Amino acid sequence: MSRKGVGLAAFDRSRITSAQYASHGNNLRSTHSTSLATQLSVFRSLLQQFAQTHAKDIRSNPNFRAEFARMCAAIGVDPLASSSGAGGKDGGSFWAQMLGGSVNDFYFELAVRVVEVCGNTREENGGLIGVKEVKDRIMSTRMEGGAEITEDDILRAVGTLKPLGSSYSTLTVGHKIYIRSIPKELNTDQSSVLEAAQLLGYVTLSMLMVNLRWPRARARTAIDDLVGESILWVDKQCEEWEYWNPGFMLEAEENANAG
Amino acid sequence: MTTTHTSTSPGPPPATFSFPRDYYFPPFFTRQPQRTTFHAQCQKWSSLIQAYCRAHRIWKLSLVDALDTDLFYNKRLGKRLSMADAREIVEFMRTEGRAEWIGKPGAGEEGGTAWIWWRTPEEWAGAIAEWIDGTAQKNTVLTLYELTESEATASEEFHGMDPELLQKALNVLVKRGKAQVFGQEDQQGVKFF
Repeated sequence: MSRKGVGLAAFDRSRITSAQYASHGNNLRSTHSTSLATQLSVFRSLLQQFAQTHAKDIRSNPNFRAEFARMCAAIGVDPLASSSGAGGKDGGSFWAQMLGGSVNDFYFELAVRVVEVCGNTREENGGLIGVKEVKDRIMSTRMEGGAEITEDDILRAVGTLKPLGSSYSTLTVGHKIYIRSIPKELNTDQSSVLEAAQLLGYVTLSMLMVNLRWPRARARTAIDDLVGESILWVDKQCEEWEYWNPGFMLEAEENANAG
Repeated sequence: MTTTHTSTSPGPPPATFSFPRDYYFPPFFTRQPQRTTFHAQCQKWSSLIQAYCRAHRIWKLSLVDALDTDLFYNKRLGKRLSMADAREIVEFMRTEGRAEWIGKPGAGEEGGTAWIWWRTPEEWAGAIAEWIDGTAQKNTVLTLYELTESEATASEEFHGMDPELLQKALNVLVKRGKAQVFGQEDQQGVKFF
């Protein structure tokens, strides 16, 4: 600060100083904003360029895609939220345009496949299917050398289905994530049975009674409900009837190949 | 069900046939009580039976014999399909147009025998006509034996076809006016137009 003057002239001087400060501040602000604008447009064009030049990688390389998604998350951009966000704000189409639609298209196409798999298997699993199984099924129908996908991709794809209504959602039971294509809630007992079935692939009445300390009637009801919804299959060729989760078919096959 | 008796007709080991994953799912061998689940189960069995018969070139499936083969008996799991369930599945295939009982649908123990249409007679007729076309053998006379047993057809799917099924397929062509069968018994010949 300048030395405090005395006398009337000091008023003038302080007014001039503050005006100068103000104009200097304006200058700074405007240079900042222009440089920010340049930075943003550079960033925008770079991201666009990046998405365009790497569109193929984004589609074909799951690691690259995951990294790209992580990068977008780090800078506060959700490449999917843009187009699935309702209302069509400017920001919405902005990212969709910027990414050339390649990322969106990838997930939308994947979502179509997920819907197909869920529809095809609904009869055998009651509309409840493990994410891993969906992935394996989609991979098995792909061409040789087709783009690899991950479970993470599938979950994102399911997310894009949200605006279509609530019928597709994810559900975590135990440490397994399922995709549910029939809007139906599982009650806690049913979830417990499903979780128990993840261990060995199946449950029996006595397993539930011993491990969960349930009375027979309670175990019976939960199992019957799940069988009635096609979520469990019964195997009667054993000492005690076993109730299997159809998702376990995959693992059973892997064991068979290993054995 | 746990005793592993050596089956009477194990057949050659299916080196080329790989079972679908459902085959290793234990409940696959128990009839599912739930209607929609059972429907899904029937469809899976139907495609398995068709694929199995195609790989092993089985035209007619005798249920009582098949119950001990690896088609209906997964020895590794120690699970097998019961006669009643197998019959129900073949019946399902019949409604799908993928099987046809031979004679009266056998009841009780013997279970019956059925054609398994991994190709229907119409489809076989088409395949034969195509081969005749492709090899320019229209208006030539072939014996039925030549048609399915000669080396010329070794790479065709209808090679080694059951004579009875061949008759059915040729009848389709005769009806369409595309072939004429003459001769009798094992001396039959056919001419294609």
